[in-house]
Amino acid sequence: MGTEFTLHLYASSQNAAYCTARDAFEEVHRIERLLSHYRPDSELSRISREAFDHEVTTDPETFGFLESAFGWSELSGGAFDITVGRLMKAWGFFGDSGRVPTEQEISSLRGQMGWRYVRLNPDRRTVRFLAPGIELDPGGIGKGYAVDRMVRVLEDEAVTAALISAGSSTLYAVAAPPGEPGWKVHVPAPGRPEQILSTVYLRDTSLSTASYTEKRFSVGERIYGSIMSPETLAPVESVAQVTAVAPTATDSDALSNVLFVLSGPARTALLESLLEVSALVMTAGEGTALPEATRWPAPIVTEEGSLSLRIEGD
Amino acid sequence: MNRRSLLQGLSLSVLSATLGAGSGYGQAEEVQAAKEQSSSLAGRFRIGVIGPGSRGRELIRQMLRVPGVEVAAVADVYEPRFLQVNELVGKTVPSYKDYRSMLERRDIDAVVIASPPFFHARQVIDSLQSGRPVYGEKTMGFSAEDNYKVVETVAKSGQIYQVGHQLRYAGWFQESVRRIHEGEIGEPTHVFAYWFRRDNWRRSVPDPSLEHLMNWRLYRESSGGLLEELGSHQIDIANWIFGEQPRTVVGASSIVLYHDGRTVGDNVQAILGYSKGRRLVFTSLTDNAFMGNQLWVYGTKGSMQLTVEDATFYGPIHPTTTAAYHSDVVQRGLKTGATYNYAADDEMPYRGPGRRIDARNQEDPTLTACRSFVHCVRTHTQPVADVRVGFGSAMACTVGKEAVLQGEMKKVPEWRAFAV
Repeated sequence: MGTEFTLHLYASSQNAAYCTARDAFEEVHRIERLLSHYRPDSELSRISREAFDHEVTTDPETFGFLESAFGWSELSGGAFDITVGRLMKAWGFFGDSGRVPTEQEISSLRGQMGWRYVRLNPDRRTVRFLAPGIELDPGGIGKGYAVDRMVRVLEDEAVTAALISAGSSTLYAVAAPPGEPGWKVHVPAPGRPEQILSTVYLRDTSLSTASYTEKRFSVGERIYGSIMSPETLAPVESVAQVTAVAPTATDSDALSNVLFVLSGPARTALLESLLEVSALVMTAGEGTALPEATRWPAPIVTEEGSLSLRIEGD
Repeated sequence: MNRRSLLQGLSLSVLSATLGAGSGYGQAEEVQAAKEQSSSLAGRFRIGVIGPGSRGRELIRQMLRVPGVEVAAVADVYEPRFLQVNELVGKTVPSYKDYRSMLERRDIDAVVIASPPFFHARQVIDSLQSGRPVYGEKTMGFSAEDNYKVVETVAKSGQIYQVGHQLRYAGWFQESVRRIHEGEIGEPTHVFAYWFRRDNWRRSVPDPSLEHLMNWRLYRESSGGLLEELGSHQIDIANWIFGEQPRTVVGASSIVLYHDGRTVGDNVQAILGYSKGRRLVFTSLTDNAFMGNQLWVYGTKGSMQLTVEDATFYGPIHPTTTAAYHSDVVQRGLKTGATYNYAADDEMPYRGPGRRIDARNQEDPTLTACRSFVHCVRTHTQPVADVRVGFGSAMACTVGKEAVLQGEMKKVPEWRAFAV
């Protein structure tokens, strides 16, 4: 997945910690083999190669992952979409260093990709593409799914407290360190990792951050991030960073990307409908990033000082 | 493609799957044909699974990617596996602590066996004798007697038996071995196989009473150690390349790092002898993962590197050559300059580029192996990784594990066919 996974855990002995950590990382490798679009032998790559030519039967886990991903597509009206493999390649976000595609390249992709061109049949557990240009890219949800699977391994091995991090952008906290209210997590300001925007305590929940700094390239003064607008088929430039807290890492990962793409009113409407999540959105203003918080559980400190927030539901 | 030509096409690999040179590499068209035919024949195919541990569950996952496959029942002596299976399959699967009770069910079309190797032969034999085809994980048997009994039962039962040597189904392995057999690296004389890990090879044990059950790989009475668990795959590939099973094994093993009560080595080296002096040199470490899992095939005209993800060809490394005629050099424009004597650096390893072997079939070889098994059962054709393939590696491991413990050379018992 091109991401560094780290795990902090409490265990009865060093050997027990070693065995548990190894089992958890083996699960990450398994998910890598399942979902990586960089590996031709992954199940996701097989589906990308074959599902336009014929209906592809897949296993329940992969099918469930696809249902979850396309569920987010439906919920967000297409703001979240894993059919963007070719679009990401056109922008040079597939093992390359980034490039601006031509208008012709972009227009050729229209009508050839999009979540609406995918048919999932739960009775037969099959996947079928209705457009020829679809390549599945698990970015935006795969990391979260891998974290959730690690959590499952830790639960099976009765780990009492742990913090999992996937590239520092998707975290899951299992319980809390002894005597602590939760695992302490700093949310940095967008593009300024030394400045702490907010500090939250996580306990049996997940936090993900989507940022324009995560994967990007620049041409002159202009910075191009890797989170794409399904309307323009170009990087979103109106948002600098989104941090979302949700019960599972799959959901916090997907939600952070969804909120990054949606416009302000649509973002607000979605968050109002999802009562179990909280979010901190930093929009890209004129030279500064402006905070929009929904049910955010901690103070936010911007360059101008502490902001007093009304937390919805209080 | 009509049905007859389809079967003939498939038969190139599935019907002539002896260990003889030139066999066993399915072409991309055949793989595609098998996929299409699997879909068109996708009636229910209900499997019973013995031993749904980590490998068993991976086989279930892959089997469920084949159209029509359902999991009818599972059997395991360790009951927590059943919940893991239910989660994987997405429904409650009937479960049994005794696999023989599972075999009494009437709704099982084939049996998949992924228990520890010392159970394999008994379970394979019982499954075959229950009238079911078997996909059995390697190694086929744990003793010489086991191996012969499985061969005999396969012959007498007339059932399909496929062994879990899935690398035979990897597109890049098939293409590479085809090229080796066509002479691309000249005469293959040596295979150097590495399987390095940085891992104590120990599984988490929820209760000390389960140590031998969970960590069966670490104890001689239940495991052939690294040679059997890891080396059997590479022995199988060497058998394929050389077109025969090894005749002798000599080796050594020791415990360097993990003095934790295990009775098999945490490293092993084995040399397996084939006809005409050809050799497989296998080495496995568990304290250094530098080499990973790879084979190098050395031939008289080149080398081939095979890994679990790709294959690369390297041409011959030439010593210094002298132009046949000085005039030829002059005519080509060489007038003067310092001479670079390549021969002086002959002792240095080659560090230049290789040429990647392209394979059209890029899917996970275990999936291809599972699909092929289902296809063979549905069409009553013999699998690529058949009982003789299984015998070749299993028998080498059977005597090899003794050879590395005793440090003695052992003869590998020969294949013996049984009349039906």
